[in-house]
Amino acid sequence: MTLVAASWLSPLRSSFEIAVRALTRNRLQTSLTIFGMTIGVAAVLAMIAIGTGAETAIGDQIRAAGMNLIVVTAGNYKIKSTDDFGGGAVEPSAFFRRNDKPATRFAVWDGLRPAPMPVGFHPEDDPMEKHDHPTARQRLGDSEAGLGAAATLSAADAEAIRRVRGVQHVAEGLHQNVHVVAGQKRWFTRLHGTDLELPLIRRAWTLQHGRFFTGGEQSRAEQVTVLGAIAADRLFPGENPVGREVSIWRQPFRVVGVVTTTSWMVAPTPGDDQFDAVYMPFTTVHRLLNLTKLNDITITASSTGEVSRIMSDVTKLLRARHHITDEKPDDFTVTTQARQALARGGMRPDVARAVVGNVATLDKVTLEQLGKTLDRATRTMTALLAGIAAVSLIVGGIGIMNIMLLSVTERTREIGVRRAVGARARDVWSQFVLEALTLSVSGGGLGVLVGLLAAHGLSRYLQWSTTISPGAVVLSVGVAAMVGVFFGWYPARQAARLDPIQTLRHE
Amino acid sequence: MGDAALIATHELTKTYAMEGAPVHALRGVTLAIQRGEFVAVVGPSGSGKSTFMHILGCLDRPTSGTYHLDGRDVSRLSDDDLSAIRNRQIGFVFQGFNLLARTTAVENVELPLLYAHHERISASERRVRALRALAAVGLSDRAGHHPNQLSGGQQQRVAIARALLNDPAILLADEPTGNLDSRTSIEIMEIFQRLNAERGITIVLITHEPQVAEYGSRIIRFTDGGVVTDHTNAAFRAAAAELASVASERAR
Repeated sequence: MTLVAASWLSPLRSSFEIAVRALTRNRLQTSLTIFGMTIGVAAVLAMIAIGTGAETAIGDQIRAAGMNLIVVTAGNYKIKSTDDFGGGAVEPSAFFRRNDKPATRFAVWDGLRPAPMPVGFHPEDDPMEKHDHPTARQRLGDSEAGLGAAATLSAADAEAIRRVRGVQHVAEGLHQNVHVVAGQKRWFTRLHGTDLELPLIRRAWTLQHGRFFTGGEQSRAEQVTVLGAIAADRLFPGENPVGREVSIWRQPFRVVGVVTTTSWMVAPTPGDDQFDAVYMPFTTVHRLLNLTKLNDITITASSTGEVSRIMSDVTKLLRARHHITDEKPDDFTVTTQARQALARGGMRPDVARAVVGNVATLDKVTLEQLGKTLDRATRTMTALLAGIAAVSLIVGGIGIMNIMLLSVTERTREIGVRRAVGARARDVWSQFVLEALTLSVSGGGLGVLVGLLAAHGLSRYLQWSTTISPGAVVLSVGVAAMVGVFFGWYPARQAARLDPIQTLRHE
Repeated sequence: MGDAALIATHELTKTYAMEGAPVHALRGVTLAIQRGEFVAVVGPSGSGKSTFMHILGCLDRPTSGTYHLDGRDVSRLSDDDLSAIRNRQIGFVFQGFNLLARTTAVENVELPLLYAHHERISASERRVRALRALAAVGLSDRAGHHPNQLSGGQQQRVAIARALLNDPAILLADEPTGNLDSRTSIEIMEIFQRLNAERGITIVLITHEPQVAEYGSRIIRFTDGGVVTDHTNAAFRAAAAELASVASERAR
């Protein structure tokens, strides 16, 4: 095998050898030409790095803000007329933070501004309130399901959602309040049975100690747990709990990691849902509590612009899987983090109601238009920068052509000698093309190094985000090689066409 | 085939168009050169001897007539085939040495092997052969020198080593002593005569100097694109003897 390859490569290798030898004879000229090419490639690479870096940074910010997050909750908490958001109907989440602790939210509002309504006063009991929110009677999901709201979503549904186009990550969700015991310490906290993909969804997460649970632990439903930073601090103050044991439901659990956040916007606080919590594989929760259903499914879209499409795909999929006929309402709720954030954010409830209620496809406006506009803007910028850099690449190529043409004239006699000792016209041609190619590719290789350094320097000292993909590297070296061949072609043809006798007479 | 001439030309003509007017460089040259001959071709400039050499060396093709080299008609071959013949069967030595600058002697000598497409030669094999050829011209100790570090005679000897590398049947020398002093010229002639005698290499020496032509065992004189005289030169000058006498004169 190797012998065959070697003999096939041999003519190429000797041509290459000839070319390299010829190039090393004039080091200054060669290195200057290579330098020109280096600058070109480095510029292209650095510009692409800045452009794609900006693109990823924007994408990251959008994703970190949860703009691509979709949550499917078991049960339907929407009244029928809210499905189209028309006619002044309102999204109930404008009032409620999902389904937990509405009273506390109102209490918080109380502290900040004049109370919109009495503390602890449930809107259903307000005689002045128009009943355009779900009443117990209207919570169709509960009655239809019969078994309670939490009994409609299954792990198989989550698996099916994983196969929807554009879906990036999916995490099953089961939520319980539990007592966690570690030695003499006891802490009442949230328990989340989830999927190992969850850390990929919670982009701001970082593992303070240890690791998240593995696929093997999940499939075997092992009794392992990852503690939130607050829970870890309460149960094991000042210690690394990895490897220690905690007890939940009187069952022993091995701690494998501690999770905290890198975000400066959110600090773990007691009572929060993410870090005053413990995590374990949802399969473990299923096994120990003898459950088969899920509370919710969290989905991320790989592109923010596709959130609306994925929402509708997921809705169709789940309706089909749950055999829901056209006239029946959903037995689940699909919503986005963005919508929830908007609804529960700093806005006054009436403003939020107006916004959510009147802009039928609010998330489309914000996500698709914002996302796509930003994408388009950064792509234009990348193209512009790369275009400017490409000019320097062409200048580098012209430098190569100049050198090659000069060397054809300068080395006419050399060409004659080579022809006299048996070089064919095409040997001369390939020598010159290979010389040009060697110049451009070695320039390109150096350019990649310089470009990587430049990009690194930019991100380090100017805090610009830069991204260099292997594709960009391959592309710029490839373009350099093409430039070399393109600009080396003509001089090489000139060289090959020279008449041996004339070249030998040439002084 | 033993009696067939190594070089056989029949009515070779070569006509150039120079500024529209045809120039007849060769007007029907018919010649036969046997294997192992040392032929000197003499004539004034413009006599057609250089054109003749280019055709013999497969650098050029005749306008009409035929040229058989080692029994093969090469007068109508393609450029690639001619390149292969130059590579395998012909060695050139030029007046201007024509070594590649900034390239060591041994690398210059290796050059023909880089174009030996008919056989695969490893880099180490190339180096061995090049060093052997340099040894044959007495330059083993100069293998790593660049041309500008060598004297004219040494450069010409490197060129001869290069010409010998592929064991050619013919060595074509075009004014090989034109740029050399008389003493060095004799040294070069001594190498030619030795190669001719010891290895049986056919040598065609082109010169305009009659006294240089005297080293050949056969002298062909060109004028106006044709052969005027062609005679054997049994009493050719013996370069080795001349060198010995020069050396003994020095010693005295």
